[in-house]
Amino acid sequence: MKIDIEKLKKIVGEKNLSDNLADLYVYGADASVHQALPTVIVKPKTIEDVQKIVRYANQNKIPVIARGAGSGTSGHTVPIDGGIILDMKRMNHIIEINPEDMLVRVEPGVVDDDLNRALKPLGLFYPPAPASSRIATIGGEIAANASGVRSVKYGATRDYVMAMKVVLANGKLVNLGSNTRVHSSGYQLERLIVGSEGTLGIVVEATMGIRPIPKYRCLAVANFDKLEDAGNAISDIISSGAEPSMLELMDKIGIIAVNKAMDLNLPEVAAIIMFEADGNVKKAVDFEIEKMKKICEKHNGTGIEMSYDLAERTRLFSGRKKLFASLSRYKEGIICTDLADDMGVPNSKIAVTAKKIHEIAERNNVIMAVYGHCGSGVIHTKIMLDPKKKSQWKDAEKVIEELYDYVHSIGGVTSAEHGIGLSKAPPWKKARSDILPVMRSIKKALDPNNILNPHKLHDAPDDWVGATNLRYKVG
Amino acid sequence: MGVIGKLFYYKKKGNLKRLKKWEGELNKCIRCGYCYELCPLFKSQNWESDTPRGKLMLIYGMISGEIEPNQQIVEKLFQCFYCKNCSDNCSAGVPVTDILTDARADLIEAGFDVEGTIVNINEDLCSVCGVCVPVCKYDALSIEKVGKDENKIVVDKIECRGCGLCVAACPSGAISQKEGCEVTLPELHKKVTDLLKENKDMKAIVFCCNWSLFPGMQLSESPTLVKTNYGLIVSMCSGRVAPELVLNAIEEGAWGVMVAGCPPEECDHDGNYKTRRRLVLLRNMLKELNIEPERIKLDWFSTKESAKLTKSIDDFVKKLEKLGPIKKMEESKKIGG
Repeated sequence: MKIDIEKLKKIVGEKNLSDNLADLYVYGADASVHQALPTVIVKPKTIEDVQKIVRYANQNKIPVIARGAGSGTSGHTVPIDGGIILDMKRMNHIIEINPEDMLVRVEPGVVDDDLNRALKPLGLFYPPAPASSRIATIGGEIAANASGVRSVKYGATRDYVMAMKVVLANGKLVNLGSNTRVHSSGYQLERLIVGSEGTLGIVVEATMGIRPIPKYRCLAVANFDKLEDAGNAISDIISSGAEPSMLELMDKIGIIAVNKAMDLNLPEVAAIIMFEADGNVKKAVDFEIEKMKKICEKHNGTGIEMSYDLAERTRLFSGRKKLFASLSRYKEGIICTDLADDMGVPNSKIAVTAKKIHEIAERNNVIMAVYGHCGSGVIHTKIMLDPKKKSQWKDAEKVIEELYDYVHSIGGVTSAEHGIGLSKAPPWKKARSDILPVMRSIKKALDPNNILNPHKLHDAPDDWVGATNLRYKVG
Repeated sequence: MGVIGKLFYYKKKGNLKRLKKWEGELNKCIRCGYCYELCPLFKSQNWESDTPRGKLMLIYGMISGEIEPNQQIVEKLFQCFYCKNCSDNCSAGVPVTDILTDARADLIEAGFDVEGTIVNINEDLCSVCGVCVPVCKYDALSIEKVGKDENKIVVDKIECRGCGLCVAACPSGAISQKEGCEVTLPELHKKVTDLLKENKDMKAIVFCCNWSLFPGMQLSESPTLVKTNYGLIVSMCSGRVAPELVLNAIEEGAWGVMVAGCPPEECDHDGNYKTRRRLVLLRNMLKELNIEPERIKLDWFSTKESAKLTKSIDDFVKKLEKLGPIKKMEESKKIGG
């Protein structure tokens, strides 16, 4: 691919561009199983920088892939066709904190935790926070419609997007949305950009809603001897009208993994549920916690511990917080791959899906933990396998096909909060074949030269294993 | 399976024998990237290839044969201060720095020679006095015979942690580190100057050791810079805070200087003992100049004791406000200059 490096250097400055192999190799990967090489990495600082780069790329039909922290789990930013990686981390200004209008205006490279650090002294917070909030950028969170542990009460990124500035594929800058809480003024284009994974435009500024930090938070943990009981307790909590601010599940595989990795000494029961309530009136928080506790007990939940104390809450939650990486420690020779990682299922289907996941895994010689923000229907799994064996990748392919067929059959979705990227595209395309032509039309209208993160989502290859190099050395 | 095709393979330079045993551990890295937050090098460089995750990717690429080590890749792998924030906090338990040490050994064996964050000896300035040798807890410095009556200081590039203690200890200024990672004397000095220039109300300069402070990496820029009356500079070890840095800060208008280090017995480099001795001498020097010695403060903080650190700084600034600006600037200038 021919790219005029000198031209790009003039835009961002020499030290903000790299085409050396050390950088290309690293920027060609994320937290997924995929790996490919970009042609060049550029780090814009201003909206004008982004416009100039995109305009040049469009004229020359060069792929442009915007990248935040590179914490995506499905290969969203892996440059399958090479091209320009736009590292947005230099655009990291929190431009405005506006407590009167309860909004913030940020550049896309602002890190979620940094935003919350800036908001905390004002008694405010930005709620969607995914587990990766320590590094995840707001731009990346918009691209994936990220959500997190508190989304069961506070919603996902899409619920906080008010307005944004977007650079289109032709380099033009458009203002989408408004600074009002609601608007009914034509297409909600700002919502269209949410979850578009960098395929429709480059977000260069975002206005996001914020909330006051509640005065009280109480976290409780309950143990279950049957995974099914835990799943049913979660479904009941939600359908009872209780208002958890967090409702998390962790199965025995997860518990064993965090015990091994972090020496937590958690009881190795079939499942643990963590539930939290928050609010400004302590009695109301007590009421919610008590209500959830009773439902857990009804479903044979035991050993229920609870605390308002921050240090204690942090201790109780520490295992869940670091579960993802800990899974690699579950068993010698087995590692954790980011596959089939975030399906969403209807509230009534938590228990049956959890059971089904274990059943499918066992039948196909892999291990799968079941955990996640189950209160909002998000079931996180990971496929744990021996990456060196070719047969294990065949097993993984079978698991993915079977599992997603099941999830879709019960009214679930392929991805609840991580996005489709490359590795989830085949089952998603299979399930949503009806809407693919609509999506392709939208893409064509906004990006006729197909330069923005090409061959992802609806245009991703049908074979996820062969879509790129795998990050593992197989065989 | 699309493993081969888009990336190229090569015949390995050297056999990378130490690294091969880490393949299983490298597979266990899930590449979540959470280690970014804790990496001081990423904060100064802002390239993902400088993060622990990036380094592990490069190592994996080398042992799998996908990428051939070149000068730029090797330079990245030799840039690390071994603060171990990444290894200590990786819930996949990947021993990042152990892997990195083996990478260094293999790459040196393969014939690479780079600067990284390793110290460099200027032989024209070095008198081979040997002061630096016992300063290094990792035995990275030694005196080697090179001729009949000639010795020289040799740096073990595998063992050097880049803490800079020897740089601060060298009486001839013969030891240095590469510019660009915000750890050299001129870079630290510039930070002092910039902080004092930026904010005329700045009372104190606080040098915090990277380990004791545990860098809660603020990677984004806030809208309204909260103007504090102290400026914080993170150094790789309290022992790196050379006397001239303290005196320069006072000369340039700071009302006082505080050094925050790891508690005794907790310093990875035993640099805190050196700092304690050094600051006693500096306080005595201030006394000689009729400047209140309490304008230099030393305090210890364990990892994550940020609340204690904030309180200690606040107390120090209050004390400085009572003392007011330094009156005997003329005398201090003579020493500082």
